[in-house]
Amino acid sequence: MVVAGQELRDLWLGGRALLLTLAFSLLLSVVSYLVATNQALNYLEQRESVSLTLKVAVAVGALLSLLAAADTISGERERGTLESLLVTPVSRQRLVAGKLAAVLSLWIGAFAITTPYVWYLGRGIGVVGESLAAGFVVGTLVAVFLASLGVLVSTFSGSNRISLSVSLLLLLALFAPTQFPTGAQQGWAANLLLRVNPITAGEHYIGKIVVDDHSWSHDTWWLVSPALGAAVFGVAAIAAARSISLRGGSTS
Amino acid sequence: MTRLVLLVLVAATFWIVPAASAGEVVVDIDRTLVSPSLGQSFSFTTTVANHSARSTGPLVAHLNILSLNPGVYVDPEDWSSDRTRYLDPIPPGGSRAVRWRVKAVNGGSLAAYVTVVPRSGKGIPATGPALRFDVASRRTLNSGGILPIALGVPAGIALLVLGVRAQRRRRSRSFSLPV
Repeated sequence: MVVAGQELRDLWLGGRALLLTLAFSLLLSVVSYLVATNQALNYLEQRESVSLTLKVAVAVGALLSLLAAADTISGERERGTLESLLVTPVSRQRLVAGKLAAVLSLWIGAFAITTPYVWYLGRGIGVVGESLAAGFVVGTLVAVFLASLGVLVSTFSGSNRISLSVSLLLLLALFAPTQFPTGAQQGWAANLLLRVNPITAGEHYIGKIVVDDHSWSHDTWWLVSPALGAAVFGVAAIAAARSISLRGGSTS
Repeated sequence: MTRLVLLVLVAATFWIVPAASAGEVVVDIDRTLVSPSLGQSFSFTTTVANHSARSTGPLVAHLNILSLNPGVYVDPEDWSSDRTRYLDPIPPGGSRAVRWRVKAVNGGSLAAYVTVVPRSGKGIPATGPALRFDVASRRTLNSGGILPIALGVPAGIALLVLGVRAQRRRRSRSFSLPV
């Protein structure tokens, strides 16, 4: 808790988190304005507009967590503050858990910013509550997964540049299937890939709830990989804390 | 011997006489007019009746939704997520009720109707009476409406950023002041 509190102060009062959320809100403003005013999109379906905005919010909100997470250990190492951090009377696992909790506050902030946009786009068709709830559940799982992945990469990276590059490369690889044309998403192999990838599975689940008006239990299988990804990578990030070294890379 | 002939005749009847075609199947609806508001869900029931003396084969009932006026895009998938039902054979004189749930996602004058087709894919489809529904149009998406949010939220956060920076500057100045 102490570590999380300190990290939260650094992140938010230091101004970094506020600048990231400002950029996030600008992006969401542009997306929601285009969605609301673009006749073609507006004409098609209001639910699609809510779903699109929510998916962008979840993806970029989770990206913010990853960016901050990629800096957690390698950043301290590069700034020369890791040594003093490691000699504090706090276990390394608690240190990483605290940093992870602070990083996840970026997603919570992003979600709070998303709420008025979703409310505006979804009002009148009765999807606001359901959309926000689905977005929060999926976004939290994806954010935990990506933040843990970022912390893991940061733990073993020699420099912040490497940590950020590897994290962004992994993120792009995970997001790539969302850009597949509909035809390429058919067949068992493509379906398996979409289900196994926590990001594509989570975004698919949001679409099912918001656009298709499915019940929460109807497509629960799509939530398995985001939940599993969050749990496995969360535990792995905290377990890997034992390997934190001053020079980067594994201590073993 | 007579019994055997009778048995052969009955078997031949079943062999030769086909199941009731969809033309002998009649589709009815429990109401023909409904006025939902935008976003509201409503249900209606169709009854698929077999008016022939023979049992029908397996049937497929399909719900379709269309706009009665040009210029209104309707994607039936958005209106109802469960639009195709597979029905078991209906005995002679029997009927089967099928309930449909629809959510009004667009404004305008629209109609829904159910068509029943034999699962064999052969025969004439039977279509029931249309259910007309008028959804009051309410344009909630417009540039004027979204602007206060699209400008206000970033502006609010920008003010917060400036406030935090000003406070940090004040703090660092008070630390550097000579005692």
